[in-house]
Amino acid sequence: MFGALDTSTSALVAQRTRAQAIAANFANRDTHFDVNGKNNPFQRRIAILAPGDPATGNPNGVHVKEIMLDDHFQLKHDPTNKHADENGNIKTTNIDPMIEHVNMVEVARAYEANIAAAEATKSMIQTSLRLLA
Amino acid sequence: MIKGMFTYGSMPVLERMVQFTGARQQLIAHNIANLSTPYFKAKDLDPAQFQAQLRDAIGKRSRKPNAMRQELELGSSKQVRMRRGQMQFRPEQKNENILFHDQNNRDVERTMQDLVENALAHRTSVELLKSQFDLLRTAIRERV
Repeated sequence: MFGALDTSTSALVAQRTRAQAIAANFANRDTHFDVNGKNNPFQRRIAILAPGDPATGNPNGVHVKEIMLDDHFQLKHDPTNKHADENGNIKTTNIDPMIEHVNMVEVARAYEANIAAAEATKSMIQTSLRLLA
Repeated sequence: MIKGMFTYGSMPVLERMVQFTGARQQLIAHNIANLSTPYFKAKDLDPAQFQAQLRDAIGKRSRKPNAMRQELELGSSKQVRMRRGQMQFRPEQKNENILFHDQNNRDVERTMQDLVENALAHRTSVELLKSQFDLLRTAIRERV
């Protein structure tokens, strides 16, 4: 039954990684320029989950398969901006705070669900151990 | 080991029950861990099917002479098989809920309900098993 605790913990790690990706998206919502000052907006990060753990070969649990980069941009009409193209547009990030917020709430709930599962497993292990005492 | 000491009465039934709930807990934890995994389909063991299996085994045992001291011979079902005295589990996909756009058929409420039910069933079996062991201990100590 200790395997069930590993499973729940792997999910906690995966959900935290997702939360970090979402936090990065929130933080860089208005990052339309890269470090060299080019109009190269921040790409939205999306954590993709997959079952199992390829590092240990354990089929139970969940892991972050990849952090996908969203290569879409939004064009914003801003002719006074010195970085604007010939049509007067600049590229901006494709981050909708509403979507990020909903995803973040989902992450928090998933995290809670896994904590509940780990608690249930813990109490089951405890009752089993009481057989010995 | 004194023969029949741990196969007496309800002990073998409770033992199988604890093993089943332990295995199912792993599956439920896996299903909860993958609540937001695309293309994931939940797999589970059916407790009703196992109960029927257990009921048949108990019925078969009670028809034998000196039934309380007989070993419990659990038959095999699609999901739970007995091999050399060990239980083997083959969980099956549940295709009950609607499929979401990420090809996951998650059902949070039912999964959490299964988690609580399973934990309670496990606790009940362990507590009953414990009272049986306490009875044995009292007999060994010759003191109440």
